[in-house]
Amino acid sequence: MKGLKKTIRREMWYVLFLVPGVLLFTFAVIVPFVTGIRYSFTNWDGISRKLTYIGWDNYVNALQDADLWTVLGNTFKYAIILTLLVNLVALLFALLLDSYLPLRNLFRTIFFLPSVISVILAGFIWSYNYSQGFPRLLAHLGMDVTSPLGNPDQALYGLIIIAVWQGIGAPMIIYIAGLQGIPAELSESARIDGAGPLRVFRNVTLPLLAPSVTINMLLVLTGSLKVFDLVLVTTNGGPGFATEVISTFIYKNAFSSFKAGYGMALSMIFFVILVIVTVVQVTIFRKREVEM
Amino acid sequence: MRSTRLLMFIAVAAVAAVFLFPLYVAVLMALKSAKQTFDSFYALPPSLDLANFIHAWDTSKYPTAFLNSVIITALSVLLILIISALSGYAIARGNKPLYNFFFLLFLSGMMVPFQVTMLPLYQLGKSLDMLNNYWGIVVIYGGFGVQSGVLFFTGFVRGISREIEEAARIDGCSTPGIFIRIVMPLLKPVTATVLVLNALYIWNDFLLPLLYLQNKDFRTIPLQQYFFFGQYSSDLNLAFAYAVMGLIPIIVFFLFMQRFIIKGIAAGAIKG
Repeated sequence: MKGLKKTIRREMWYVLFLVPGVLLFTFAVIVPFVTGIRYSFTNWDGISRKLTYIGWDNYVNALQDADLWTVLGNTFKYAIILTLLVNLVALLFALLLDSYLPLRNLFRTIFFLPSVISVILAGFIWSYNYSQGFPRLLAHLGMDVTSPLGNPDQALYGLIIIAVWQGIGAPMIIYIAGLQGIPAELSESARIDGAGPLRVFRNVTLPLLAPSVTINMLLVLTGSLKVFDLVLVTTNGGPGFATEVISTFIYKNAFSSFKAGYGMALSMIFFVILVIVTVVQVTIFRKREVEM
Repeated sequence: MRSTRLLMFIAVAAVAAVFLFPLYVAVLMALKSAKQTFDSFYALPPSLDLANFIHAWDTSKYPTAFLNSVIITALSVLLILIISALSGYAIARGNKPLYNFFFLLFLSGMMVPFQVTMLPLYQLGKSLDMLNNYWGIVVIYGGFGVQSGVLFFTGFVRGISREIEEAARIDGCSTPGIFIRIVMPLLKPVTATVLVLNALYIWNDFLLPLLYLQNKDFRTIPLQQYFFFGQYSSDLNLAFAYAVMGLIPIIVFFLFMQRFIIKGIAAGAIKG
């Protein structure tokens, strides 16, 4: 009887410990999420007090909205190119920094540095470098360039370059940690067996690095699908519609076009896309990890 | 072998120079006048002239923004640490379906993108008087940060042996006593991880301040910078002086905390 009382008291404390976290989480995430779902079935403009439920109309309209498909195209183009580039460069840097390079801690600091700068600052600095810094430097070499951000065909790539500059840090650290987790004897013995550096990398290092590849691909892809501030402060979706991504599109619909209900429906579609991308990616990569 | 090594070093150094170039241009701009920039773009200024910085300091309310950033980041991180440690400990030690349910709930919350919740959050903030003050935004950051925080703390506590706690319990120590006297001192490494990751994110965050802190007196550095650049787009040297002033605190923080940041990210990857 006494033991039971003690267990109950202990359990009470655990529940009490859990309460503040659950409360704040409910307040900041669950309540807004549920409210967002509700709004997405209304024609609310974002300001007025009255809401009219219109069923699935927003969703039907969204799927027939040519702009949404353009925006999704831009977003995925940006995200896929960025994910591949960031991972490639980060892995390359990690391999270089994991070898016995002089000053490698300094280099690691330099490559990580852009990651700690706010996107607002990075966007501002790069906009200026694109329009003045690089053209003047390249003019010395006889090249005539203009800012890619002003050109509809190049603007998205201009943003990708900024994002690569800012995005290498964390994946690079994760790859370095992954590399340090690989026992040296393995690549050593492969080398003794006559494998060249490329074969060692392909047949020994890369398979053992698979978990790091999975996590980095996932982190960068989901992160870049959500890109917002970089676009807002550099191109604001322009020129034309060239860099409008799903997040800025939702933001404009929800806050400045008086189509809050529609914006919320867009955001729910975006949420579903994110979940699908995450699940698909995790399944594919986990499968490959097992095979290797 | 020696020459390839040297070649590799030169290549990496060249890439590092490219990485630093945009920042070099920013500092250069901040130190020169518009005329000096026009005359010779890449040259270092003839003498160290802090006129742009002084001008930017006077016109920008930089100290207010800096203080706001410090207060909001510190309070938010503190709140996140406390509630995540408590919840994480309860989930790890309670070990019942109920706790696992909440664990999964926190985990799936991380999938919800900010774009989904931002308009309702703004409405919520407006109706509860949470805009343009410290506590409103801190509470929201707390609710955001607890999701990954719980993940970290639960994982860490599960790795600690229960034996000491059981012994203390037999000696008559209560659950809060055990938590404060025995568990908390052991949580230092994971606390450092959660601290640096959240501090970097909150310090640089732009979205939530954009919604919650439009009032001049409560703007954080990134938000203040966003408005400043818009306002002084014609005086670029001044704008860059302000940009460099914004860079300094976070770069100093990074250089001092580098070890923890790198450890934190590596640990975060394993947990994820």
